[in-house]
Amino acid sequence: MACLVAEGLGKRFAVGGGGLRAVEDVSFTIESGEFVSIVGHSGSGKTTLLSILGGMARPSSGRVLFEGADLYSLDSDALSEYRCEKVGFVFQFASLFAVLTAKENVMLPVTFRSPALPPGRAEERASELLGLVGLGDRAEAYPSQLSGGQQRRVAIARAFMNAPAVVLADEPTGDLDEQTEEDVMRLFLKMNEESGTTFLMVTHNADLAGRAGRRMRMQDGSLHEL
Amino acid sequence: MARAFTVSSHAVRNLKRRPARTLILMTAIGLLVSTLVVAVSFVRRVESSIRATTDRLGADLIIVPTGSRGAAEDVLVENRVKTFYMDRALIDRVRRVRGVDRVTAQTYLATVGGACCDVPDTMVVAFDQASDFVIRPWLNEKLGRPLRKGEAIVGSESALNIGLGLTDMDAVLFGNTFRMVGVLDKTGTALDTAVFLDESNIDDLIRKGKPNVGPGSISIVFAKVEKGYDPREVAGRIDDSIVEVDAVPRRDVGKKVLAALGDINRIFVAFILVASLLAASLAWAVFSGIANERAREVGILRAIGAKESHVTRLFLLEVIVVGAIGSVVGALFGSALAFAPARGFLVATNVTTSLSAGERIGIAVVGLAIGTGICVLGALLPIRRTRRIEPFRVLKED
Repeated sequence: MACLVAEGLGKRFAVGGGGLRAVEDVSFTIESGEFVSIVGHSGSGKTTLLSILGGMARPSSGRVLFEGADLYSLDSDALSEYRCEKVGFVFQFASLFAVLTAKENVMLPVTFRSPALPPGRAEERASELLGLVGLGDRAEAYPSQLSGGQQRRVAIARAFMNAPAVVLADEPTGDLDEQTEEDVMRLFLKMNEESGTTFLMVTHNADLAGRAGRRMRMQDGSLHEL
Repeated sequence: MARAFTVSSHAVRNLKRRPARTLILMTAIGLLVSTLVVAVSFVRRVESSIRATTDRLGADLIIVPTGSRGAAEDVLVENRVKTFYMDRALIDRVRRVRGVDRVTAQTYLATVGGACCDVPDTMVVAFDQASDFVIRPWLNEKLGRPLRKGEAIVGSESALNIGLGLTDMDAVLFGNTFRMVGVLDKTGTALDTAVFLDESNIDDLIRKGKPNVGPGSISIVFAKVEKGYDPREVAGRIDDSIVEVDAVPRRDVGKKVLAALGDINRIFVAFILVASLLAASLAWAVFSGIANERAREVGILRAIGAKESHVTRLFLLEVIVVGAIGSVVGALFGSALAFAPARGFLVATNVTTSLSAGERIGIAVVGLAIGTGICVLGALLPIRRTRRIEPFRVLKED
């Protein structure tokens, strides 16, 4: 069954007097449970494409179908629900809230879920996810007390909090050491195999990309199968 | 145990992040609300004091020597110590005017602390107990019998008493010793600041104390009109037939003060409007800054599923907390200021009526609502802009 379908996607930004085409006529289908990686140079449009698929940036042209429904025909609230409940997004930068502990940061998406998980259950799940990313003992630490790599792992745990159908990961191992990078990749693969979560991962790392079931390359806004 | 993230707890945490900025906005709102509370309380208090005074006099008309209306209002409405006199024979002439039912007269003597008497500046009111309908209701209630010669009763806030509850002690007025036999209950009128005695004492006072009053003089005549007569018409008739007096219907007493109050009111309104505009602009500037500063945070929240309504709620809660705390402090401060002795305003020093607890609370609640509302109003545009942030835009700018 098709999980995500992109049809003729385009995204254009106004730059100065002219325009910049970040994504150009991109079409593909990702089946449920697939693990797809996208490689490409900086500025090739990978993050923009991921954001469009994540319901965070309206395309200039084309459409995105999630389980058959046109994402951008949804109203603002429904699109927020899609981001909250269907998608887990791992950003390429630290995206934690400084005033919240690691566990509170992981629990954050539950706040916007309707109906919300009972607090006890949410906390249990957050602890479980922190354990999975190897930070079970750092649950009460604030982001300022964590290393860059640990912060990244908290953000990964947060992306799984609402048990999303698809995880969109933008350079998820960008600033991690080799061992942690390997741990994260194993975790992704495990989640993909055990729970059937669909993964679309953008990376510069050719080795990591090679471990995905399907690989694509983004170049000058266009996407090609490898 | 982890604290669950809630929009309200996050709002409070955000406010704590920048205490100085939060405090500045709270102070501005607080000042606006306190000004509003002081102004409204002041105007309401003076208005109700004037109304209470005129209503409680129990007379339909007040008749004073020609040209003395202002001085009479100063005495009756503002509790000032002033004297004015006319011939006692005018009482009968007023009584004979068509439409006049009953009349009674009072004579005002002003004591001057350290000059004529043993008491501080105060107004001594001599009245005719036989015809009186102004003081007697209060006197009967308190003393239960008429005042005898050589006796006096003091108002609850007279300079002689000042809350001491004086009874059975002597005071010297114009060289005559008077026994203070009681203190009138608070009436909320000019009666509260005077000393009352029967007019049979006047001759002794004139003889021994030499006040500025001749024999056979009175200061004021109070008249009730017959049923079915319009007090204004009867007043006109008195004015036309007796040139030595001015007749003022009860409803017109204090008009001069009320007119002046109207001007003060307009100045207050203009000031409060300007202050509101400034407070709203400050809220706009502060929340525009907050919105820019937290665009990335909002972007992340939106990216992980926060709806526009969540973002609106987050910022609204912040602005409401700031507005409400500022307004509560302002309302408390304003209320305290409004009822502290307002030495800068003579009219306020002299009004005796206090607002009821209900009115005070009402004014404070209105101030609170206006302060919070202005804060919210100022922050609306930045909030609107923030909640529409497209997550990708701010995240890409990072």
